[in-house]
Amino acid sequence: MIAGVPIPNFIEFVVLAVASIASGLGVILFKSAIHSALTLILALLFVALFYLLLGAMFIAVVQVLIYAGAIMVLFLFVVTMLASENTGDVIEPDRKPWQRGIAATLGFILIGALSYLLFTGTAINSAAITTAASGNGLAQHVADPKLGNTQAFGLALFHGFSFPFEITSLLIIVALLGAMVLGRRSLSRDERH
Amino acid sequence: MHHAIPISWYLIVSAILFTLGTIGVLVRRNPLTIFMSIELMLNAVNLSFITFSSYLNSVDGQMFVFIVLTVAAAEVVVGLAIIVSIFRTRRNINVDEMNVLRG
Repeated sequence: MIAGVPIPNFIEFVVLAVASIASGLGVILFKSAIHSALTLILALLFVALFYLLLGAMFIAVVQVLIYAGAIMVLFLFVVTMLASENTGDVIEPDRKPWQRGIAATLGFILIGALSYLLFTGTAINSAAITTAASGNGLAQHVADPKLGNTQAFGLALFHGFSFPFEITSLLIIVALLGAMVLGRRSLSRDERH
Repeated sequence: MHHAIPISWYLIVSAILFTLGTIGVLVRRNPLTIFMSIELMLNAVNLSFITFSSYLNSVDGQMFVFIVLTVAAAEVVVGLAIIVSIFRTRRNINVDEMNVLRG
């Protein structure tokens, strides 16, 4: 027990906290925008792990898919697009000699962890799902605890929050139109007059 | 759910991430990095939303995070489109020189 917290929980929290704060520091300290973007992806993944720790599974998955996936890919597109024109921010193709070794080691660790989870993970899995379901307050909504809190989330979204949900679709259409209008290549001055 | 960790710890992490984002917005000159710092701030707020949602046994905080995610996506799309169109006309992206909306 450290400060009233069991050792495993303490370790997982401190590791996550240090990792997320370090990658947050990387976002504002790296000189080139592409390094900032990559560390921001790391920070978003660590925040998603915090969500998992807090029992918000659906939001964690959405965070990885939408934030670390879609939004950051858009960021990287724009960064590379502007960098290639800017010439100040080009990523020079420097290959470090230790890159292959590190990549191979990390790959083996990943496949080891994944197969370990696949072969031993069923017990852990159902326990985690049950705790997540019981951790969510809408007990009356959770019919089957095996379903996790995604069901409670969906029920709450379409019962109490259906108006904001509809407004969201309007917002997305407006943003889409705005991006198309702004991204259109504007006419040159001769064509305009 | 039984919480082993005091709620203040999560909130401290969230506050640190938010502060890092604020410093990034204030210090950096590249609008792309400023955008990323704003994303960091949004995520810090989302983390505190999820923390309260979990500790108060309510799913409402997760709703807020869901809406914030959508608004952030829309904001990024429009913001990046603005940055790209500014870059097309001005040929450099430095926030200190972008002080007029006129092209």
